[in-house]
Amino acid sequence: MKGNTLYSPMFHWQSWAVVARHLRVLLLNWHTALVPPIAEPVVLLLAFGVGLGRQMDDFTWNGEPISYLSYLAPGILAYTSFMMAFFQSLFSAFMRMHYQRTWEGQLTTQVRLEHVIWGEALWAASLASFYVVTMCLVLIGFGLGGMLTLNWPWMLVAIPVLYLGSLAFAFVGLLFTATLPSMDHMGLPFFLVILPIGFASGTYFPLPDIKWLHILAEANPLYHLAEGVRLLLIDGTLSFHLPKAIGMSLVMLLILVPIVRRKLRRRIFGED
Amino acid sequence: MNENTILQVDGLVKRLGGKPVVNDVGFSCSKGEVVGLLGPNGAGKTTTLRMCYGFLRPDSGTVRVGEWDIQKDNDPASRAIGVCTQDETFDGDFTVRGNLVQGCRYYRPKIADRDERVEEVLEQFGLKDFADAKPDTLSGGYRRRLMIARAVVHRPQIVFLDEPTTGLDPEARVLVWELVDSLRAQGMAVVLTTHYMDEAERLSDRLILLKGGKIRATGTTEKLLGDVVGEHVVVVSRTGADLEVVDAWFRERGGKHSVILTDWHVPMGSADLAEFVTSFPDLRYEVRPPTLDDLFLALAKEVAQ
Repeated sequence: MKGNTLYSPMFHWQSWAVVARHLRVLLLNWHTALVPPIAEPVVLLLAFGVGLGRQMDDFTWNGEPISYLSYLAPGILAYTSFMMAFFQSLFSAFMRMHYQRTWEGQLTTQVRLEHVIWGEALWAASLASFYVVTMCLVLIGFGLGGMLTLNWPWMLVAIPVLYLGSLAFAFVGLLFTATLPSMDHMGLPFFLVILPIGFASGTYFPLPDIKWLHILAEANPLYHLAEGVRLLLIDGTLSFHLPKAIGMSLVMLLILVPIVRRKLRRRIFGED
Repeated sequence: MNENTILQVDGLVKRLGGKPVVNDVGFSCSKGEVVGLLGPNGAGKTTTLRMCYGFLRPDSGTVRVGEWDIQKDNDPASRAIGVCTQDETFDGDFTVRGNLVQGCRYYRPKIADRDERVEEVLEQFGLKDFADAKPDTLSGGYRRRLMIARAVVHRPQIVFLDEPTTGLDPEARVLVWELVDSLRAQGMAVVLTTHYMDEAERLSDRLILLKGGKIRATGTTEKLLGDVVGEHVVVVSRTGADLEVVDAWFRERGGKHSVILTDWHVPMGSADLAEFVTSFPDLRYEVRPPTLDDLFLALAKEVAQ
């Protein structure tokens, strides 16, 4: 399969027509779609960052004392980009493919499967990034309230990197969408992806000094995203974690796009 | 391919799961013509249709829509095509009007007069009163109208209808037939699949009979019936006398008789009928013209043999 038919559909109008369709549906359901992304980070930051943080006066990161809220906030940005993209391309895409038959309707027009795939992935990454931006605004609110100090301008660098990470995670979700036989098997990706990746990401706590856990974390793109964004927003440092996160995301895309395409061709068209 | 031909299909072959599903199928459809694809379950109708509108890639063979090859020039070819699938694929998140507008958004060049066109189609398909309702709240007949309306909203040259009236009540079916007739009157080429014999008979200018993925016969209803079934069908009650003798007589001549409840339905030509009449002067029976139901039964027998 030629590479251009795998990756160039990302730029085709059909893929963006799919994204635009999902955006319209989101705007139609704005009252239910927009509350969770605003409420969730506020609750998380208040419960963990402020509430739990008060119990941890001697919290340190990279050998320096730091407030737990400052440690948590960048990690949550990374975790949100991962979870939201994965969730969208797994649950929502599966619903559209299997139950709502939205894909089948789109595939009878000028939209081809490659466009549906890229449309779903781009939408998942865009929505995740919208949630990230919303969260950034909430964090700025905390900053204005004197509860949090971060290098705010670096958020503009963090957001595109997180977008790329979301895009890669969206294809992990689509891989499961292409593979899982029914909704009854949705527990599997949580067990195989969300749990281990979230566990070894250092989102909520610094990784304990366990060798195998650090080896695992080295291979975890979410760990590099979380640490990279943290160093950026706390220290203002462009660390090696960011190129690692970018590189891993690109490798994931390189590997996953053809696999997802082949699996979905088989699933939807019954082709060998 | 003459200037009126919108669809030209040649030598289509498709294997799914290692098995041949469509084998060397070819046909054409012209402007203002309705072509019916007919056949029993598993005959390859939907697979053929799906290759025609570019949903499936044929293993070999070509589909040309107007001047475009559906595989090589997918974009312009798809622009000229409208599709109403067997399953309902409308967008439940949008209203009836929203579905038509959204349908337009999947095509380029854009429909310049989109909003006017949507209103026109709502009117034509009797959907105006439900324009702001969600499709899920409509009856089956109106949902099917919406599916067909969405298939034609971008003004295609050809529309593919996959079992357009399956599951509809008789009144709703007639309304869909009228819509198909109006599409033909507008000069649109229509290719449809159906299980309903009366539907195929009433709607189609030309029928293509598929069996086991191959074309078994093509032509008008009368020609198909004559070629595959025969000129007459003799209906004999299985509750009468001398049945063993009658059964043996049928078997000697190929045993094509079908059992429907308490009757035998036996297709035969004029010569056989004359012989039958003289052979069984005291037997009670009915002679009727063949229908497409007989055609299906005859095909099923061929498959079984």
